[in-house]
Amino acid sequence: MADRRKLTGGMLLLTVLGGMLMLPPLVYVFNQPITHFGIPQIVFYLFAVWLLLIAGTALLARALPTDETDAGPGDGER
Amino acid sequence: MLSADFVIATAVGYVGLLFVLAYFGDRRARTHKKSFLHSPAVYTLSISVYCTSWTFYGAVGNAARSGLEFLTIYLGPTLVFVGWWFLLRRLVRISHDQRITSVADLLSSRFGKSNRLAVLITCIAVIGIAPYIALQLKAVTSSIQAVAGASEFGRGSLTGIDDVGLAFGVAAGMALFTILFGTRHVDAKEQHHGVVAAIAFEAVVKLTALVAVGVFVVFVGGGFENIFAGAAEMGVMVDAQDTFDGRWLTTLGLSVAAIVCLPRQFQVTVVENSDENHLRVASWAFPAYMLLMSLFILPIAVFGLTKMPAGSNPDMFALTLPMAFGQDALALFAFIGGFSSATSMIILESIALSIMVSNHIVMPLILRLSPAGRGDGHGVTRLLLMARRFSIVLILSLGFFYFFFTRDSNALAPIGLISFTAIAQFFPSVIAALFWREASLKAATAAIAAGFVFWVWCSFLPSFESVSPQVAMLLHQGPWGISWLRPEAMFGLDNLDPLAHAAFWSILVNVMTLTLGSLLTSQSALERIQASVFVDVVKRGQVSRGNFVRGSATANDLFFVAERVLGDRRAAALFETEARDSGVEPDMLEPSPEFIGRLERELAGSIGAASAHVMLSKVLSGSDVSLEEMMQMADETQQVIEYSQQLEKTSAELRSTAQQLEDANAQLRELDSQKDEFLSQVSHEVRTPMTSIRSFSEILLDANDIDESQRQHFVGTIHQESLRLTKLLDEILDLSALERGERTWENVPVDAEAALDRALTVCEALLRQRGVEVERGERAPPTMVEGDADRLCQVFINLISNAVKYNESDAPVIRVTSSVKAGSYVADIADNGPGIAKSERKLIFEKFARGQRGAADQSGAGLGLAISRQIVTRMNGALDLVQGSLPGACFRVRLAVLK
Repeated sequence: MADRRKLTGGMLLLTVLGGMLMLPPLVYVFNQPITHFGIPQIVFYLFAVWLLLIAGTALLARALPTDETDAGPGDGER
Repeated sequence: MLSADFVIATAVGYVGLLFVLAYFGDRRARTHKKSFLHSPAVYTLSISVYCTSWTFYGAVGNAARSGLEFLTIYLGPTLVFVGWWFLLRRLVRISHDQRITSVADLLSSRFGKSNRLAVLITCIAVIGIAPYIALQLKAVTSSIQAVAGASEFGRGSLTGIDDVGLAFGVAAGMALFTILFGTRHVDAKEQHHGVVAAIAFEAVVKLTALVAVGVFVVFVGGGFENIFAGAAEMGVMVDAQDTFDGRWLTTLGLSVAAIVCLPRQFQVTVVENSDENHLRVASWAFPAYMLLMSLFILPIAVFGLTKMPAGSNPDMFALTLPMAFGQDALALFAFIGGFSSATSMIILESIALSIMVSNHIVMPLILRLSPAGRGDGHGVTRLLLMARRFSIVLILSLGFFYFFFTRDSNALAPIGLISFTAIAQFFPSVIAALFWREASLKAATAAIAAGFVFWVWCSFLPSFESVSPQVAMLLHQGPWGISWLRPEAMFGLDNLDPLAHAAFWSILVNVMTLTLGSLLTSQSALERIQASVFVDVVKRGQVSRGNFVRGSATANDLFFVAERVLGDRRAAALFETEARDSGVEPDMLEPSPEFIGRLERELAGSIGAASAHVMLSKVLSGSDVSLEEMMQMADETQQVIEYSQQLEKTSAELRSTAQQLEDANAQLRELDSQKDEFLSQVSHEVRTPMTSIRSFSEILLDANDIDESQRQHFVGTIHQESLRLTKLLDEILDLSALERGERTWENVPVDAEAALDRALTVCEALLRQRGVEVERGERAPPTMVEGDADRLCQVFINLISNAVKYNESDAPVIRVTSSVKAGSYVADIADNGPGIAKSERKLIFEKFARGQRGAADQSGAGLGLAISRQIVTRMNGALDLVQGSLPGACFRVRLAVLK
């Protein structure tokens, strides 16, 4: 099992990186008047970044050890 | 062909289905604690209430008008969920611990349970959300009108009803539905499992509908490539050149704030969360849901622009495209999808807002008007529910009025962004609440209020431009002609997009007020406690369960209060559990601070933290005093801790000082004994020649009959002894000067070989006299070292004369060799004498140490080697005794070669 600190570090990196990838100036790099399969490259790029973030988060969330669930449903009332 | 009546009937039927779903969902959630309604999948689907008809209809329109900008509304929330560990997890944990019921409750609880702040936030939320509700009404109205307008059956029962009437009908229906749905009972945790179940179902419906329309469009259009290629031929391009400007950044930032602070998002993500681990799934599943939602938006928009007649409303493409191709079933499905997205938003938003209104505005009023101790017996629950119902009506009315006044504006997305900007005003305070201990109530209140004022001026007011000539004039000329106060060009900043302009100024003022204000104001005691509870929420193992008020109230008083709010049965159950846990009869129950704390949280679940705190404070007489007391006690404890820490520090310092003194003392003792030893050695050395001088001079004085030759001998001895004495004293002086570092010389480059040769020459007489054979071994070439030529020569002379003096061999030999090794000049002077006994090897460099064997007849004081070693050391070299090539001793001088 990977180190918890490193995993949360990875999460922070993924978040910051995701933000940077969808903001200028990095988007300018891919914002060229080129089309792939008739679709503008920038559309491909943004959806690829999106997919990458989803996959990365899924992997990290899976790898992260679960803590004891102290917040279970229904704490005694009802 | 679809008719308007049929569509409306379907919508009503759909709502009925939702109601049934909610009803059974509620029952199931009550009976089965582990049912699928508590699963992460349902949780994720309920979060996707974020995708409203703004997404279903508005995003297509937005994509048709401004290209890729619509994506930011989903990329921002994606970032928040990707970083769930840092923000959402904290929010969920705090809300579980503190029984937070809304974003207003969160901020009020963090900033000292202030009700004023909660009221402010509630008011801003209700006003700020009005455009958002209006957007949903507009979307539903437009979609019904789109069906009716295209229908060959005419307008049916809609004849004579315009947009406004239709929207009113929709709003009224929604209000009724929401009241039936969401205000059937008051829950301790404000969790509405039935509603969540319905919302999750709607999430599936709207996604399936939009994907179905998307797949249909791609199919009809002949694939993605053909759609985009066809559009390009028609001159419809996805214009991405000017997309990534200030507006891109603004909408991205606003959506980040919105996904956290929107009342309904806070409700589903934080309040309705039943297990923190559900966030793990939602962290990637919700972004994936949004990605699926967005996948077909661009093709639908582009295809609509190509196929639909010019001038048709791009917001309705998802509905009108299937109709244009005669796909009635698909069109109906699309309508239901759009209707789903609108209803889920309206239901949840108005439930969330009504909770805020009833907990933070109505409840405190009731508390203020009816003093504690006089209840009507029916409990506050009914009053609360009534308050919520009225708030729902109020919220939908506000939405309707906003729609009424701005019905001429055509696009959906800009309306939603007005709401986003309003809600974003909470974001800086929420972040500060979680991460910044120093953030204070006064600053947060002022910041939110200031941001709100700027929002009203720069964003809300301009949205009435089309209906009010006064507003239009204000926009162009500014109030009273003051041009730098123009709502869309504040301080002359007129080259920004209006949305970016409003967001920039309001958030700037907000953040500056919050940060500066927090630095300039101070926190109350309760604020400090809550600040540490909030900021340290993930650090502590066991979160402190809020602060407990202490007082003189009896269990009876408390029960009375609990009964009023929670109702008979729940209050009784709560007290019985407590009595059972502490093992006493319910009548004998003594309210412990922990129990009061739990009661406060329990009440907070129903009426909000601030109200619960006020309520209990009223019952527990003098509770505020006891809180102050507690703080004082805490302060005193803190002081004692600090004092003892200081003491500890001081004593540690003392210990180290004492240790240093002890060390110094030991050193002094050592030096003292060395000095004593030195003195006794010196006196001993001095005494011997002095004795002989004295005795010889006495003989000379007393006896007159000494012949000349004898006299000559005596005087010679005296002279010799005094010479020896002088030499001894010179050496002592020399050594002590060397040791004290007084006798200094400039280390200059000298030739070590030359010094060695000179020493051999000087000693030649001595060598010859003793008949010592000098073996000249391997010699180094002339080598420059740092040092003083005379002193170096002195060292060599001393070594050579020692080698001669202590050599008792019959055929005395000394061998002198030198070489350069590894950057060092090394000179060895070895002899074939008896060598130096092992026990003496360490001592020979000490003062007054002489080799045992030579001691008897030696005239030296035993300082030569000590002096030599001092000299070599000062030349940054070393003088050592080594194993030589001859059987006797071998001394080695090592000096660094000068490069």
